[in-house]
Amino acid sequence: MTTPPLAPALPPALPLDDASAGAIVDAMMPLVGIPMAPEWRETVIASVKATAAAARLVLDFPLDDTVEPAPVFRA
Amino acid sequence: MSNQSTAAGIAAAVAAGRLTAAEAIEAALARIAAIDPGVNAFTDVTAERARARAATIDADRAAGRAPGPLAGVPFAVKNLFDVEGIPTRAGSKINRDREPAARDGALVRRLEAAGAILVGALNMGEYAYDFTGENAHDGPSRNPHDRDRMTGGSSGGSGAAVAAGLVPLALGSDTNGSIRVPSAFCGTFGLKPTFGRLSRAGSFPFVASFDHLGPLARSVADLSLAYDAMQGADPDDPWQAPRPVEPVTAALAQGATGLRIAVAGGYFARGGEPDCFAAVQRAAEALGATRAIEIPEAARARAAAFVITASEAAGLHLDRLRARPGDYDPAVRDRLIAGTTIPAAWVHRAQRFRSWYRTRVLALFEEVDVVLAPCTPCRALRIGQATMEIDGVTVPARPNIGVFTQPISFVGLPVVAVPVRVGDGLPLAVQVIAAPWREDLALRVAGTLEAAGVGAAPVAE
Repeated sequence: MTTPPLAPALPPALPLDDASAGAIVDAMMPLVGIPMAPEWRETVIASVKATAAAARLVLDFPLDDTVEPAPVFRA
Repeated sequence: MSNQSTAAGIAAAVAAGRLTAAEAIEAALARIAAIDPGVNAFTDVTAERARARAATIDADRAAGRAPGPLAGVPFAVKNLFDVEGIPTRAGSKINRDREPAARDGALVRRLEAAGAILVGALNMGEYAYDFTGENAHDGPSRNPHDRDRMTGGSSGGSGAAVAAGLVPLALGSDTNGSIRVPSAFCGTFGLKPTFGRLSRAGSFPFVASFDHLGPLARSVADLSLAYDAMQGADPDDPWQAPRPVEPVTAALAQGATGLRIAVAGGYFARGGEPDCFAAVQRAAEALGATRAIEIPEAARARAAAFVITASEAAGLHLDRLRARPGDYDPAVRDRLIAGTTIPAAWVHRAQRFRSWYRTRVLALFEEVDVVLAPCTPCRALRIGQATMEIDGVTVPARPNIGVFTQPISFVGLPVVAVPVRVGDGLPLAVQVIAAPWREDLALRVAGTLEAAGVGAAPVAE
């Protein structure tokens, strides 16, 4: 029994703009405990946007629930 | 011995008594002293240790003990390999404060057990998060074919040291292309074995899911000799796969006859300078390969590798990012910081996509034995070059240098980078890709291209 792909029913996810990416970075830095200097912020935001664009390609691809993650742990 | 000497040639001369290991090492040290200031490949030269080791090998031979298959061969390693007595810097400023390594990395020990002699550690992009060979702390490694050009990275010093004829053999690491890219830019042969084949013990990690170690050399025989010497189970590496030692050197003579060879189309036939595809075509013609195949969803594979890389690397570096962010190379730091913001759900999804993609890629190898693809979308860029033009579009240089290597290492396939000259320009390389655990097939095809004069790695003049 396979699960039907959900992709057609997904709500749209908009590309990340500078303001949204900046808000994410500003919120996350205290959480992860990194003292980010103001002059690094612009390139960090650009990298967050690039990663989000890459992730979008991956997330847009429907996968059946039975597809396991690649790394396998053996006790 | 000359700067053109291969590892196989040096080992044969030492075994026959025509050359001593001491002479081989003095010649290498003299070349490093003369040439390295211009190419900046070495960060450490282990002259005293190398001379002591050479004396031992020469004494053993004089006593009638058989020298190993790499007897007297000088080699050097990317400075993320542990070298006893030296802090493993991995291209960073921060790691210089580590304790000196207590013992050599596993592959260093194995090469030395085969008679090879370590002469130093090599420059690299900081923490291996790099395709350029540039380094804010140690300066860029410089392409021996044009010293204003990048070596490619992150194993930049490894490519430069071999292409400049400083050593016939170097070790590098390859997570997303870091052996294959310098091989292309510097014009060397390089082997990225199957994921899990060679021990990673005693090397500084980058991305546990994708890290591979492997050799660079100026001949396929030298790659094979080194690879054979480094195989074998190592309980110190929990990621190593349970595989028997499967030597390849004796199999090289079988050549490519009877192998089903195809050229990767689609994604791998666009998005680069025309000469990159001309190099693939030149290799295909030499091999009589007329078939084309499509590796499905390669762009998505690259994207998934990008996400996993950014996340795992950020996790590895989190404490250093919190304590000493200002001590990183800025080009590396800001990507690592960004990596700390990635939702775990995205990484999980990327690892599930990786399973799907592996199944599809493995199915291709029921139809063909070897796939040819370009190694890079361009020749070596200028040092400091931030953008490049592909199909008339200006794109950031750093991430796009690995556009053709990332979808292959993403599922751990063995690849030989074969340097193929097109026209009079700087080197280029072709990826010769095989199914998992079939390094032998990739090396046989690489050897056939070398024998045909299509693949060649002359020392830079």
